Amino acid sequence: MNTDDLEQKLSRLSLRHIPAKWRGEILDAAISRHASCVTRHSFLSTLNHQLSTLLWPHPKAWAGLAAVWMLIFCLDFSMRDTTPIAAEKAASPSPEVMVELKQQQRMLAELIGSSQARDAESPRFFPLPRSERVEILMT
Amino acid sequence: MRMPAGLDIERVYDEHAQPLFAFLLNFTRDEADTRDLLQDIFVKLAREAKLLADVRDERAFLIRLAHNAAIDLIRRRGARERTKENFAVETISIFARTNDPDEKVFHEELAFALGDLPEEQRAVVHLKLWEELTFEEIAVALDISPNTAASRYRYGLDKLRDRLRPIYEEMK
Repeated sequence: MNTDDLEQKLSRLSLRHIPAKWRGEILDAAISRHASCVTRHSFLSTLNHQLSTLLWPHPKAWAGLAAVWMLIFCLDFSMRDTTPIAAEKAASPSPEVMVELKQQQRMLAELIGSSQARDAESPRFFPLPRSERVEILMT
Repeated sequence: MRMPAGLDIERVYDEHAQPLFAFLLNFTRDEADTRDLLQDIFVKLAREAKLLADVRDERAFLIRLAHNAAIDLIRRRGARERTKENFAVETISIFARTNDPDEKVFHEELAFALGDLPEEQRAVVHLKLWEELTFEEIAVALDISPNTAASRYRYGLDKLRDRLRPIYEEMK
């Protein structure tokens, strides 16, 4: 069997035809996918355009502002005290502390009371006019 | 049905779908898989209209797409699917039906023989015999060297000749 003969015979064979109904199905699928892709692209491109219009005049300023905000958020987050001990302390002081506090309040009241009494006893000093002061000295 | 980006998908289908169908059917040996792959290719073309914009040889480019898609599919197939592929060789033929009994037997034997070829040889044999591409064009389409394409063709054709010799001699 000559190779050329076989090649010629094989190359003359006619191949199966693609089913006709596939054309509509495949093209419909391709075009509908394209349409959804275009819709998504147009929304994204619109958003991009709007943002570009807004941010383009001073991009460094916007970037700086964003960085400052990020820094503020980070600091705020890191300084937040969420430990349970602090909460417990704030919630219920112990009886000893309560006694101590009451003692301090009492002492404060006594001190305030005594100073008020001293104030009541001693007449308040009002400076006299200079001429009157001279007269007093003379007498 | 013109695409907005300038790709006339109908024209591309009408010019290239038939050879892509035959190539994919020879590769996958399964009509449903062939349809899925063909649809994937056209969906991809519709989604990325720029793909064909700068292409010099549309046919070679599309064959490369089809080849890559078919290779991916075959890699995805497991052992069970390979069994199905071997079974499908008996029923799926890439050739048009004929009423001549001798031709019919020849077609069947050829379908078996093609199914037994390694995929890379089958692809080159198909493109050379039924797409009438040169080895340079096959090399571009399959991303191999022209020498590799030529040697794969020779090996493939030798195997076909060995397999088909008895029938072919009878028919002469």
